[in-house]
Amino acid sequence: MTEAAKSPPTVFALFLAMLRLGCTAFGGSSAGWLYRDIVLKRGWIDNATFLQILSVGQALPGANGVKATVQIGQHLHGGIGAAAALLGLLAGPFAIILVVGAAYRGIGEHPLVQAILDGMAAAAIGLTFDTGLRSAWNGAPGIPALAVTAATVVCIGILRWPMAPVVLVLAPLSVALAWRGRRNA
Amino acid sequence: MREGLAALALVFVPISLLSFGGSNAVIADIEHQTVAVHHWMTGREFADFFALTRAAPGPGSMLTALIGWKVAGLPGAAVATVGYYLPAAVLVYALARLWGRWRGRPWHDAIERGLAPVAAGLLLSAGIAILRASPGGWPIWAAAFAATALLLRWPKLPPTALIAAGGALFGIAAALVQ
Repeated sequence: MTEAAKSPPTVFALFLAMLRLGCTAFGGSSAGWLYRDIVLKRGWIDNATFLQILSVGQALPGANGVKATVQIGQHLHGGIGAAAALLGLLAGPFAIILVVGAAYRGIGEHPLVQAILDGMAAAAIGLTFDTGLRSAWNGAPGIPALAVTAATVVCIGILRWPMAPVVLVLAPLSVALAWRGRRNA
Repeated sequence: MREGLAALALVFVPISLLSFGGSNAVIADIEHQTVAVHHWMTGREFADFFALTRAAPGPGSMLTALIGWKVAGLPGAAVATVGYYLPAAVLVYALARLWGRWRGRPWHDAIERGLAPVAAGLLLSAGIAILRASPGGWPIWAAAFAATALLLRWPKLPPTALIAAGGALFGIAAALVQ
């Protein structure tokens, strides 16, 4: 996609595209879904802009798909675009999960349903562990980074301390370690 | 009702602003707040909600919507969802362009590299928190570690298929035991 992007969509078209994506994007990696749909299929955003959008989001809080969606909307139509894209992305899953929740209220107590949910939870926990282990290895290798990861797990996963104070102490510490490591390198 | 809505906002707005590493990174704290601090649900329900939201479509997690719905119905679901998604979205909207302009500065790089290990620790804590919340016992722990091992060996396994397989396996096992 090196040629000029196709004519930008209307705000409503952007909303509809995100609504459709929100309802069909199963199983994590919303960045991949956004890329295939917004960049490859519709050509609303070019490759370089999309990569920049993804990299910018890394240091900011929030779900990755949401951060990318806000920036795509912002890029195409400013504040209105960001709001329409975000609303579109969340509206479908919001409605669907409430239907799922209502079904759960009806049958959640059934032993067979509980067993199935246990198995689904175990697989989803595996997905979370996998992502955590990969980011610990790939993100910033080295003893200080691994020590920060271990300290986070001990404080929050094992001691069950509240997240806010732990992150507000460990994050600046970890950034300082990264800064020192950089200067020594 | 109004107290419930205020409490939901007070729980989810700070979590939104601290969700480095995405939706899954804050699950340990959400579990702690909703089960241990506010007693909005049992550990069993929390683990079930987590499983349901990971199997449903959508970016990140609609776990917050389910929790809000459980606490205060539809208004609760709306408050929890807006409280959880909007602050981070506004922050991204305000800072994204500025942040992109600073790319390549040494401190910019240090912040990105410094936040990564914290996010990794939060993700691992999330898995531990759900295992501890779930009353499912050793089969869940064993299956969770087996799923982790499968994913480390075959990273391209589709998440939805893995979750479906986990549910099917446990469902069949339960039917056979009965």
